[in-house]
Amino acid sequence: MANTSDIASALIAKLGSDPELLALCPNGVYWDESPPGSTRFVIVAFINAIDRGVFGRRAVEEGIYLVEARMLSTVPGANINRAAARIDELLEDQPLTVAGYTWSTMHRVEPTRMTEVDELDPSIRWNRRGGQYFVEMSHTDA
Amino acid sequence: MAIKTGRYGQVKWDPAGTTPVLLISLNAWTGDFKTEMEDVTCFGDVNRVYIPGMKDAKGTIGGFWNSANIEIFEAAEMETPGLLELIPNSTEPTFLWSGPAYLDASIDASLQAPKVSGTWTAAGPFLIEGGALTMAAREARQRRLDQQQRERPAEGEQPAA
Repeated sequence: MANTSDIASALIAKLGSDPELLALCPNGVYWDESPPGSTRFVIVAFINAIDRGVFGRRAVEEGIYLVEARMLSTVPGANINRAAARIDELLEDQPLTVAGYTWSTMHRVEPTRMTEVDELDPSIRWNRRGGQYFVEMSHTDA
Repeated sequence: MAIKTGRYGQVKWDPAGTTPVLLISLNAWTGDFKTEMEDVTCFGDVNRVYIPGMKDAKGTIGGFWNSANIEIFEAAEMETPGLLELIPNSTEPTFLWSGPAYLDASIDASLQAPKVSGTWTAAGPFLIEGGALTMAAREARQRRLDQQQRERPAEGEQPAA
């Protein structure tokens, strides 16, 4: 049985199992929010999603996921540029294996890049870089 | 009876014309049964006046491309009609249109999931199941079928005088 959460889990697992990305973002890859104290990590979150149906069933699930490296500016050697590039290498046009689904496409639809001023300490900056990725999976039984 | 969702619609097809089976990955169909009307307006009429001619029977189907289900593209290659069934909601399986029909097919491929569509055209009586009709509609349909039988006799038969 297809489970939408498994798509996000597969995405996180794909990113989280890459040694190069983990070397750049050693705190890991997380859904929506990272653990307290994290300084270099990757966040995966839903931006938008839509299901497409055929008669009698859901057939295609389309989702736009925010996939972004986030790094504290004060961490020595932090390389947000390379982390975003590695995310793109891992995701752009790369298949995603999820039980109950057949991979259709995964590609970036919009790059993201911003600097966020820390709310508690305005001298600190958070660098964020990555993209919005379109993931389309069709149900195996549709 | 009540208004029901279109989610459980179905399109069934058999190229051999005997036992239609479900076509998967479709999500739309239409049927057009408009009767051709001839304008017979005369001097002195207060508005245009029409008389009915032949009822049309054609429509469309649509859905997603699925390489496991290319029946409509196979049908588009055929020179002989198959048996088509169009069902608005499979929870009311006695309400359906069926009959011999030709199918053609199109595909629209873009960066999104490719979509397929096709048109169907009747190759013989293409009718709603009789049980769904009122007696008056059934009788009118029977008159039309009888007339067709008289005008188009079976092979080897002589036309009725």
